[in-house]
Amino acid sequence: MGDSQYSFSLTTFSPSGKLVQIEHALTAVGSGQTSLGIKAANGVVIATEKKLPSILVDETSVQKIQLLTPNIGVVYSGMGPDFRVLVRKSRKQAEQYHRLYKEPIPVTQLVREIAAVMQEFTQSGGVRPFGVSLLVAGFDDKGPQLYQVDPSGSYFSWKASAMGKNVSNAKTFLEKRYTDDMELDDAVHTSILTLKEGFEGQISSKNIEIGIIGTDKKFRVLTPAEIDDYLAEVE
Amino acid sequence: MKLDTSGLESTAPLFGSLSSGIHDEISAAPSFALPNTINFDGFQKEAIQMVKPAKGTTTLAFIFKEGVMVAADSRASMGGYISSQSVKKIIEINPYMLGTMAGGAADCQFWHRNLGIKCRLHELANKRRISVTGASKLLANILYSYRGMGLSVGTMIAGWDETGPGLYYVDSEGGRLKGTRFSVGSGSPYAYGVLDNGYRYDMSIEEAAELARRSIYHATFRDGASGGVASVYYVGPDGWKKLSGDDVGELHYHYYPVMPSTVEQEMVEVTGA
Amino acid sequence: MPQIFEYNGSALIAMVGKNCFAIASDRRLGVQLQTIATDFQRIYKVHDRLFLGLSGLATDAQTLYQRLVFRHKLYQLREERDMKPETFASLVSAILYEKRFGPYFCQPVIAGLGDEDKPFICTMDSIGAKELAKDFVVAGTASESLYGACESMFRPDMEPEDLFETVSQALLSSVDRDCLSGWGGHVYVVTPTEVKERILKGRMD
Repeated sequence: MGDSQYSFSLTTFSPSGKLVQIEHALTAVGSGQTSLGIKAANGVVIATEKKLPSILVDETSVQKIQLLTPNIGVVYSGMGPDFRVLVRKSRKQAEQYHRLYKEPIPVTQLVREIAAVMQEFTQSGGVRPFGVSLLVAGFDDKGPQLYQVDPSGSYFSWKASAMGKNVSNAKTFLEKRYTDDMELDDAVHTSILTLKEGFEGQISSKNIEIGIIGTDKKFRVLTPAEIDDYLAEVE
Repeated sequence: MKLDTSGLESTAPLFGSLSSGIHDEISAAPSFALPNTINFDGFQKEAIQMVKPAKGTTTLAFIFKEGVMVAADSRASMGGYISSQSVKKIIEINPYMLGTMAGGAADCQFWHRNLGIKCRLHELANKRRISVTGASKLLANILYSYRGMGLSVGTMIAGWDETGPGLYYVDSEGGRLKGTRFSVGSGSPYAYGVLDNGYRYDMSIEEAAELARRSIYHATFRDGASGGVASVYYVGPDGWKKLSGDDVGELHYHYYPVMPSTVEQEMVEVTGA
Repeated sequence: MPQIFEYNGSALIAMVGKNCFAIASDRRLGVQLQTIATDFQRIYKVHDRLFLGLSGLATDAQTLYQRLVFRHKLYQLREERDMKPETFASLVSAILYEKRFGPYFCQPVIAGLGDEDKPFICTMDSIGAKELAKDFVVAGTASESLYGACESMFRPDMEPEDLFETVSQALLSSVDRDCLSGWGGHVYVVTPTEVKERILKGRMD
């Protein structure tokens, strides 16, 4: 990767000053399944659709929300395989930080490291940008935090955000529903309602995933049973 | 904390007749039991390493118009550890003669005492005091006979005899030098620096004593293995006299008073801590 | 201790008090028995609430200090905060172990105030094995004497002034039994609100 004489960067400027490859990557994200995240007063929730290509796929074998450290979780919209590469790199980065300082990596630090990797892939030879955007949810000394990282390597902290196929509808919905004093449970409800907007077919614990982190600073992915309970509350 | 310098006090020289029995015993050459070992050289090598403390020292002596000035520090060290700050390194051989101690403490102490005996016997036999030349030669001959066996002695014999002031340097390698200015020990280069710079033959006793004291002080400042008390002795026509014994811890601030601005708070004595 | 650690001579001590700590060192720089300087700095300020003392070979101490300052400045820029004492100790440990087979000939002493003004002290060997202590830590050529002095003089929960007195007396009496350290002392007493730095008069032999 990038060590051959002929390995020039595939991401090059167009005459109009755009990096078309990155725009294509964003398109890949935009056509991916919807994900969203909400930062509440006492925690963060991230959620995503989990539409599978066939009913024959065992849905329990697919996990779209992953843990990076015990107190940081991540979800994506876009290409699943690219996501796995980023998860592997991020986990390694987090472990290295922990090994050096004997202290869990702060969310901002990990997000910056991930963003640095994604940026590198827009400039290195022989590689293409990642076809994913990430939502990183964590809770550390600075409280609950939600970040979105894009294929260009840019990242922002959000109160609530969405990405993927239904991004504009979801964002409009979140803008209407979001309040600063929202509790974690409310945020879970809101995230379900947001997903439900423009959801094709019947929403169930089998075709969505939800991850939460509260003041206990332990990120966890909700079980289908827990999601069913929340779904029942929302009905 | 004030140093306990009681060990540095001068002792009255012992005069009086010795019984003939003791006389025979001590007039004979000292003999030492040899270790019962096959590998004598190897044993000796190890033994030498074991009895090697008291290496760091500063001693000096010089002849001037009024006599001989002798000075020394009082520190004994074992490696980096300071085992004593009140060692008597100027040995009073008799009322007219002093020896200084550098190298192995035990070797110096033993052979100076032995020399003292020999000097007294010479005095009894010849009804006159031994010359400094003679005394130093007695010591040098003994040390030479033990050459290579691990003795560690670097000494100056200073005194007043019929010819006036006398000063010799004697060491366990067999060396014996007559001179007017010597310094021995790990601090000697520093002492020489001050001594050579300030020395004049026609100094007064006060000037000479101050030069000796200051030379020792500067050596204790630079040399980690020297320190404690700077003792100064003077040997004149009437024998030796101890002129001063100053704790160099205090001497430093006497020579170099601290500017008030550099010290924000001075230490106070702790009571019963 | 191997000979190289005793080349320059040093004495270091850190002690914990009530919501405060003190760190002190001697002021000598020697080459074996020869005293070169009596105003040598062995304690470094990492930030307002974190101090580092480096005993052992002076050249390695200075190099190590420069590397640690470099790493700490990078950390400050990247994370927009000062390092916690515990975090800094881990960093020092990691940097020392990087040179496992050709170590810096230093024994560091780290003292700082952590979260909620909790004092933290620790020392480690030249390849980074941490030794945390609740009361005091010592290092240098006078460490044996320092252990004895601290063992008998330490009292828990001392106020800053008491702590200063105790640390100073322990240091001064200990270096009086060591050829290679002494020639004055340098004490820092750190409380949540201020850092008091004092130079001690001592025996100059």
